[in-house]
Amino acid sequence: MNVDIQMKKCGTQALGETHVRAANVMATPNASVRFWITTMLLVLLGLTTLKLR
Amino acid sequence: MLLALAQWLAQDVRFFSVFNYITLRAVLAAMTALFISFMVGPAMIRKLAAYKIGQSVRSDGPQTHLVKAGTPTMGGALILTSIAITTLLWGDLHNHYVWVVLLTTLSFGVIGWVDDYRKVVHRNPKGLSARAKMSWQSIIALVVGFYLWDAASLPAHTELIVPFFKLVVLPLSAAVFITLTYLVIVGTSNAVNLTDGLDGLAIMPTVMVSGALAIFAYVAGNAVFSKYLGIPYIPGAGELAVFCGAIAGAGLAFLWFNAYPAEVFMGDVGALALGAALGTVAVIVRQELVLFIMGGVFVVEAVSVMIQVASFKLTGKRVFRMAPLHHHYELKGWKETQVVVRFWIITMLLVLLGLATLKLR
Repeated sequence: MNVDIQMKKCGTQALGETHVRAANVMATPNASVRFWITTMLLVLLGLTTLKLR
Repeated sequence: MLLALAQWLAQDVRFFSVFNYITLRAVLAAMTALFISFMVGPAMIRKLAAYKIGQSVRSDGPQTHLVKAGTPTMGGALILTSIAITTLLWGDLHNHYVWVVLLTTLSFGVIGWVDDYRKVVHRNPKGLSARAKMSWQSIIALVVGFYLWDAASLPAHTELIVPFFKLVVLPLSAAVFITLTYLVIVGTSNAVNLTDGLDGLAIMPTVMVSGALAIFAYVAGNAVFSKYLGIPYIPGAGELAVFCGAIAGAGLAFLWFNAYPAEVFMGDVGALALGAALGTVAVIVRQELVLFIMGGVFVVEAVSVMIQVASFKLTGKRVFRMAPLHHHYELKGWKETQVVVRFWIITMLLVLLGLATLKLR
């Protein structure tokens, strides 16, 4: 989703709000990266099973 | 603290001996730092926004960045808080290396904090003057250099290891060792700071490099593995894997909020401190040159600024459309997320190359 365009539509740019908050949605790159982080966390959890058994 | 508690409990319940393992504590440190950042992060971002601690954007930068003006900054304080609490919880507090890296990181964090505070709260665009910032960084880095030289009890503590060449080990004099330590710590600190110009660009390479340094620290601190791999044995260095795990965990959690479009920026408080942390760990585990390889993105970003400034002063012409390098690619038409993810991929490759030096020598 193009956050910049959305911000201009809702006219929040002039208010100096943060670009993500103005959109009030989770942008696609944000969602992707958060899924990557979740995966890394699960991998880390998996690795601890090597020792915690 | 938890290690001491586990050791005390292990006298009666054998299960608690498992916490003596550095590998387990490093993983738990990463998870703890991640958890702390996730818990504290949203509240801290709300506070920063409420106090209007927002980033100012350079007017001569890419136009697409103007929308970022006002995004809360100084989020590095969140990273440092997580790292400090986690290290104090899971680290061996009798280990002097743990205190060296922790205090160095926090000291550089204070420099960055003062700079950010003056910029965003006092609305002083210059922040801390470049001379003052450099002077404080130099003082701290030199103190670390002197301390590590003074504390060195084995030749391996002060030798320069050359990657890919098992037999090339350069003994360093006090002056050279302290100068090298100074350059690595201050250089890495400023290079990470220069890289911190796009959402998520600095933090993910920091996470990857700290993860790799955790492996180097663990191997260097293990008599069997270091002998097998032909790298110098540095007693006590293994504990730095816990510290590196904390950086990785806190960094990943920060990325959650810093991924494009960022809710918060780390500011100088985070960038200067994290760079100094990586540099100090690399110096202690004697992998300065490997850090140079793994942190290639940081190096190239810093070098691009030097080239740009030198070229403009000498010839009046610019080599890049804009420096640091990430802005050059943005102005060439790459989207911000493309620049960021491609720089991450390059860092992954460089980290793999760095890890390969463990065996290819």
